[in-house]
Amino acid sequence: MKATLAIINQMQAAGVIGRYAIGGAVGATFYLEPVATLDIDVFVSFQQVGLLLTASPIYEYLTARGFKAEKEYIIIGKWPVQFLPPGNALVEEALALAVETELEGVRAWVMTAEHLTAIALQTGRAKDFARILQFIESGALDADRLDQILARHGLLAKWEQFGQKFLEGNS
Amino acid sequence: MSVQMRKILESKREMRQRLASLPFAEKVKLLEQLRDRSVAIAASGLKKSLASPG
Repeated sequence: MKATLAIINQMQAAGVIGRYAIGGAVGATFYLEPVATLDIDVFVSFQQVGLLLTASPIYEYLTARGFKAEKEYIIIGKWPVQFLPPGNALVEEALALAVETELEGVRAWVMTAEHLTAIALQTGRAKDFARILQFIESGALDADRLDQILARHGLLAKWEQFGQKFLEGNS
Repeated sequence: MSVQMRKILESKREMRQRLASLPFAEKVKLLEQLRDRSVAIAASGLKKSLASPG
């Protein structure tokens, strides 16, 4: 993954992408125990061409350097990487407030635990709910910070429902 | 819940906490091992044959 991140950083240094943030299972692994995943989700602001947001500069940069595109992924090193636009205000905020980390000397930005939790709640698949439970159990969450994020993005009612379904009666 | 089951669950919880507290670089190495294993299982057709036995 070090090589993969180094290429993404090169792309950033070349001005192809701006700020980026790792989300999904790899992002969660920064805080939790490793969970099997086949890909890396990298959230990045896409360039706007007219009314369209496009990932073309990313694909052009990488394919020109010999990296192969497969379906929605680009294989960088051993990892299929999916470049994703923020899509909504919550993910935009997660991208803006991502934390800097380092992997064997290579810098990278990872979404905060609270943003990963809020995004999982918003996405709402079974595996997302399982990840939220992992975050709660791990003690990695700052409850006040999470509350503020949930309130800002209209997710408090959904959080309440989640609590009723998965947390009540388990204490 | 039986005492034995409680011990198993507690032991799993401790293992998850231990893994979570590893440095990111070490967790990434584990992620890579998990990914290689998943790819090998997928390539073997084992998952498919288990999903549709007989």
